[in-house]
Amino acid sequence: MNELLQYIFAGITNGAIYAIIALGFTMLYNATELINFAQGEFVMLGALGLVSLRTGLHWPLPVAFAVTVLGVSAVGMVLERLAIRTVRKPHPIVLVIITVGASILLRGLAMLGWGKDSFSVPYFSKHPPIQVSEATILPQSLWIVGIVLLTVGVLQFFYKRTLAGKAMHACAINKKAASLLGIPSERMVLLAFAISAALGAVGGMIIAPITMCSYDMGTLLGLKGFCAAMLGGLGSSFGAVLGGFLLGILESLGIGFFSSSLKEPTAFLLLLLILYIRPSGLLGAKAVKRF
Amino acid sequence: MALGSAARSPFVIFAAAIVLVGAGVSNSYYLQLLTVIGIYTLLALGLNMLMGYAGQISLGHAAFYGLGAYTSAILTTHFHVSPWLALPLALLLSAGVAFLVGIPTLKLSGYYLGMGTLGFGMIINVLFREWSSMTGGASGLVGIPPLAWGSFVLSRGRAYFYLVWLTTLACFVLCERLVNSRIGRALRAIHDSERAATAVGVDTSRLKLGIFVFSAVLAALAGFLYAHLVSFISPSSFDFLMSVRIVTMVAVGGMASIWGSLLGASLLTLLPEWLHVFAEYEMVVYGLLLMVIMIFLPQGLSRGVIDLFAQRHLLSSLAKRLKG
Amino acid sequence: MGENALLEIEAVSKSFGGIQALYNVSFAVRPEAIHAIIGPNGAGKTTLFNIITGVYTPDSGRIRFKDTEIQRRNVHELVAYGIARTFQNVELFESLTVLENVLVGQYVRTRCGFWGAVGRWSWVRKEEREARERAMELLGFVGLQDLAEKRSGDLAFGWQRLLEIARALASQPNLLLLDEPAAGLNAVETRRLGELIQKIREQGITVVLVEHDMNLTMEISDRILVLDQGRRLAEGSPREVQTNEAVMSAYLGK
Repeated sequence: MNELLQYIFAGITNGAIYAIIALGFTMLYNATELINFAQGEFVMLGALGLVSLRTGLHWPLPVAFAVTVLGVSAVGMVLERLAIRTVRKPHPIVLVIITVGASILLRGLAMLGWGKDSFSVPYFSKHPPIQVSEATILPQSLWIVGIVLLTVGVLQFFYKRTLAGKAMHACAINKKAASLLGIPSERMVLLAFAISAALGAVGGMIIAPITMCSYDMGTLLGLKGFCAAMLGGLGSSFGAVLGGFLLGILESLGIGFFSSSLKEPTAFLLLLLILYIRPSGLLGAKAVKRF
Repeated sequence: MALGSAARSPFVIFAAAIVLVGAGVSNSYYLQLLTVIGIYTLLALGLNMLMGYAGQISLGHAAFYGLGAYTSAILTTHFHVSPWLALPLALLLSAGVAFLVGIPTLKLSGYYLGMGTLGFGMIINVLFREWSSMTGGASGLVGIPPLAWGSFVLSRGRAYFYLVWLTTLACFVLCERLVNSRIGRALRAIHDSERAATAVGVDTSRLKLGIFVFSAVLAALAGFLYAHLVSFISPSSFDFLMSVRIVTMVAVGGMASIWGSLLGASLLTLLPEWLHVFAEYEMVVYGLLLMVIMIFLPQGLSRGVIDLFAQRHLLSSLAKRLKG
Repeated sequence: MGENALLEIEAVSKSFGGIQALYNVSFAVRPEAIHAIIGPNGAGKTTLFNIITGVYTPDSGRIRFKDTEIQRRNVHELVAYGIARTFQNVELFESLTVLENVLVGQYVRTRCGFWGAVGRWSWVRKEEREARERAMELLGFVGLQDLAEKRSGDLAFGWQRLLEIARALASQPNLLLLDEPAAGLNAVETRRLGELIQKIREQGITVVLVEHDMNLTMEISDRILVLDQGRRLAEGSPREVQTNEAVMSAYLGK
């Protein structure tokens, strides 16, 4: 029983990470109908960025956090500007390959910049682990879940209360109508890239203290985040969060009760299962589109 | 028909070139390099049929490459099956897996297929790494027997060069015939507008599945040839980066171009030879290549260059008309 | 309903999420006649069209084509039965040539499969030759024979429309469904389109078109179905429909 509790806690922690990465995918998809294969690299850049600023330059945490978020957002915007917007014939294959190329490029640059070593970052706070019944919770886990929930709240606020957010929502629903109403869809796309990159960066930063950060950490995380998004239903923010936590818990239970070699395949198997049985995801948000 | 004899001659020329090169090159390192180019060309060709002609993305193609290699390696080392028997088994297994994976994922398009194949590729790679009893795990499988015909060992030097390139040539001919047929046209139609293809009666799901299986079989064939060339394989040769390499070969060489597969495979095999510091910059180079080609020359080098030539021709003939 | 009706639509209803797009629509399409479906925007014309062509399945009701129920069939299966369609925004295979587009249109009337393609046997080569001849004839029928080798994506819009019709005819349909064929055409092109449709009817092919262009519709149609807000408003000859009070108020009253 105590094992179960521990696994669930671990699952919730990982699930929060997957949730925020999934949110990045979903929100970009909502605004642009694009799936960014480089999303995982934003996570990696966030983590490594924090490593450099915090462990390397010893900047205070909030400053390092903010600067990293801004930096990675900038990378996202550059990607949109240089790569996405300039494409002349946006056949889905072309866009997929471009983002795959961007993913590889960012990975390669990260390897040049940070080498192949793994780094770590100190915990956000110095509290000791907390005992709950017979399981232990790391304070960092609380940070992770807390920040993710906070981010979700901020996003909701953004969508429902701010003009930019409502505009982006409108673009997602009907791009032509939105542009007829004067909403500049190009700027919306740029903003969407910036925000989804920021979300990735936040995910990378909050996981940095409890994982080994290296240039190749992004691919797997990105993939899992995508699986989570699909699980919940691509196009639904709530689905992304739900999918993330669900994936985290299922994965954790799988590792705990079956075998640790199930860590990677769980997500992919779930993805294939979802694609097979119910491509619109658990919450069945959007109908799976044909291009 | 005139089309038949005209189309045969590039292949005849190519066959002659293969014979000449094989006879002329005696340095064993270069021979092996050229042989590897042949194997990669086969890989790129298969993926090109899927991506270039039918317009479907596969980001996990290294999995089929690996399945071909590992199946034959396991059968020949653990079970002492003759490689010539292992070959059809490897191809069948690859086809079967492609069939099963293709049914659900090909129902979707674009990104979903990309992600589905990516995930599939990762699962297979995990399988290679975790099933150590069979595959040797992360440290790989050694002692793969060479191919032999009676007592004549083929997996060496010139003999293998010819074996690989003649196989590749045969597949070129096969693909050319496929492309210029009712099936090939239907595939290109699916690429341009799946909706319209369905509306003229094409069973798009079935065709897409068929070409997916076909490309998997070609990849498995390449894997077989690779395993018996190098006699040692490990999971790291069949990972996501390898899948990206294959995609890059197709994209750079030219989508929907059979000769483009040759161009792409050659370029990307020779690049590491020319850039000695390549190992460090490999990912950056691939990433940039992919992005730049897709942005500026989405048709790839072979088509893109042809298009450029065609446009120049067009411009100059237009100019002549205007003047005269 | 009709004896000898080629296509029968019986009490078809369809709703999307709470919006009733079609309610209890019935009508019969007589063979070798030109039928038009008209109605104000939102009347359900496109929905009905999509149901006939297999894109949607009706919530209730039946569609009978040549005495077979087809409402549950897949889009591509209907082509083999003898139904062909064009698209409102013209969906060509842009990277294929004009001729190749029509060749693909013959997909259901040709047999060469994977092994045939690879083997290139003599029956395959013969089939290919004959297919090309038929395709050239079709291009001649619509007037595009000189453009056979041009990339179809490069064609002017009016010609693309004609190509799409030729491609649809290539499957040798009994029923040809045209989705707003006159959209985007000027007066001259529209008149030529009308002549072409009549020529098609003379070949023994039944035509059903969804249209907004009233001149064209009144001129060439034998029978017209008027839809309004998902319901059948009127059905009859052009004259009957033109003088129908309910029709007039539906159009003018909106």
